[in-house]
Amino acid sequence: MVTTPEARTRADALAAASAASADATPARSTARRDGHPAPSSPSRLNGRPRGARKTGERDRPLWMLAPGGILMVIVILVPLVLGLVISLMDLDQYTLRQWVSAPFIGISNYVEALTKSSLIQSIGISVGYSVLVTLVCLPIGVAAALATQNRFRGRGLVRSLFLVPYVLPTFVVGTVWRTMLQPDGVGNAMLANFGIDGGLWLNGPQSYWALVFVQIWASWPFIYLLVLSGLQSVDAEVHEASALDGAGWWTKLRYVILPYLKGPITLALIISFLHSVNNFTLPFVLFGIPAPADVNVLPVLTYITGFQNFRFGLSAAMAVVSLILIAIPLFIYLRAVKLDTGEDGGSRVRK
Amino acid sequence: MGPVSASSTIAPLGVKPHRASAKEGARQAQIHRLLPKPLLIVILTALLVFAMVPVLYIFFASINSDLAVARGAFWPTELTFENYSKIWTTVDLGTGLVNSVLVAGGVALVCAALSVSTAYVLVRYAFRGRLLVLRGLLALQSIPGTLLLLPVFVLFSTAASTLGVQIIGTRWGLFLTYLTFALPFSTWVMVTYLRGLPRELEEAARLDGASPFKILTRIIVPLSWPGIVVSGIFAFLLGWNDVLFASVMTRPESRTVAVALQIFGATQEGGAVPVYGQMMAAALVCAVPVVVLYLIFQRYLVGGLTAGGVK
Repeated sequence: MVTTPEARTRADALAAASAASADATPARSTARRDGHPAPSSPSRLNGRPRGARKTGERDRPLWMLAPGGILMVIVILVPLVLGLVISLMDLDQYTLRQWVSAPFIGISNYVEALTKSSLIQSIGISVGYSVLVTLVCLPIGVAAALATQNRFRGRGLVRSLFLVPYVLPTFVVGTVWRTMLQPDGVGNAMLANFGIDGGLWLNGPQSYWALVFVQIWASWPFIYLLVLSGLQSVDAEVHEASALDGAGWWTKLRYVILPYLKGPITLALIISFLHSVNNFTLPFVLFGIPAPADVNVLPVLTYITGFQNFRFGLSAAMAVVSLILIAIPLFIYLRAVKLDTGEDGGSRVRK
Repeated sequence: MGPVSASSTIAPLGVKPHRASAKEGARQAQIHRLLPKPLLIVILTALLVFAMVPVLYIFFASINSDLAVARGAFWPTELTFENYSKIWTTVDLGTGLVNSVLVAGGVALVCAALSVSTAYVLVRYAFRGRLLVLRGLLALQSIPGTLLLLPVFVLFSTAASTLGVQIIGTRWGLFLTYLTFALPFSTWVMVTYLRGLPRELEEAARLDGASPFKILTRIIVPLSWPGIVVSGIFAFLLGWNDVLFASVMTRPESRTVAVALQIFGATQEGGAVPVYGQMMAAALVCAVPVVVLYLIFQRYLVGGLTAGGVK
């Protein structure tokens, strides 16, 4: 169906008229006449929300954007630029007070970060552990979603309980696991029941696996949630059809259901990866400062360099590098989310 | 909804065009089943154990003696609620809780108000750069906090020396920071919510000559309570859960409960007998408000979580 802008405007007006009371009709026509001159070209309407066409430029309440906008500019955008500037300065605790006049040293901080600090190592740890966590969370989350998609007694309770690890504040998760993973803690006591000597989890090489495990424990429910909402969009006809075809459960899952979940799973993987890479609280609370070398993830390294060693310029350079690191998955994420759903409002994340 | 929802697994039975018999229902369940029953039971059991054992441990350890917890006991040897009375003097949890409630609660209220008005304009009005703002909302959520921590700190310190306003070390500094960081996601939640609202009521009010602000307060806000609650809760959680900014921008008297617990935990080892029992009690106290909020508003929150995927 071809709809010209004019025709669509008329349809809107009709819809509005049917909703409005009868005595408001004359007011409507005047409002429309002086409020909104006929669009000069159809292309002007592209990308506009539906409601926008009927309102004039004059009474758009753009001032309502101001409070939030000003805050975001001052507390996010300005600091973002400031961070870039600081990364080019030799800023430490002595020059912090007069940071504007701190010596400008070009890319020296970046050179130092890449050659003399443990930045490269930290990037390796961060990316490695995030990928690992995400890949392990995926089958767990999918299995949980498949298992709770069907009705059974107590399903509501199970669904609620599944989300508890994800809902607990990260600093609580860190504190609890820190206690459990003490050398004499309950973790090693349980392992001892199976004849395993747990050893040290919060120090040395095993700390890496402790971080991976706790992060998996706390973040799989997110993938479960996204996959579950994906499963619910599978039409009933699909189930009927595969039942008629006599497909076994694995065949059905592999060739019928999983293709439906490609979108939600991709999105879940990206967001889960970003969560892990950006997670400062868990390693910080779990291991404390200074962190063991094996779990010196990027956010912790940046934090220590800045607020323990007071090398602010170097720390800013590391932070900028970490922004570049997450830019790629972030870009994919932004492409995956449909920004302007226009007519079919309500639906959210699409792929 | 019509016939589409009739056989959907989430629709209540009563919606079906003709009431399904028990036999028909069983057949439906059979068709929709994705996993064979034994596998289903194995998965559910394994995941429940995996998810809940540590959660149960928090509770068990919190009613256990410090010594027993330090020795690695899972089941409480003696039932005592002493830990819950002792924590208030062992660590300054009270001040932390007050600060967290004030900061996170204030952030939630203001953020909800700002996000509904911002989202309203973004959804219903056209202006240059609208898509850029929408994209920006998503992008801003993913900026790592460690990138902004230092510049925000420098900015607030500079404001203190040039304007004579002390921000660092006060609750206001945290309030401003959390409010701003919560805005992109809360606004995005409201954007997705408002898109689903019918326009007819607004149109009618507009034709009656109501101003945009009046439409917002009289029509949009009453219609979008679930969305507003969700965006408020997410803002609350951001303030309640943050450790990064609170660890740098607070003094002992403005410390949030997150930092209080973190410091409590970090100072346990190496001393005399670590008070792990009390620590688990404190951890539980910190978790309760969040879990209660989640249980009450679960239905709305789950939708919000999938909308933008930010904790």
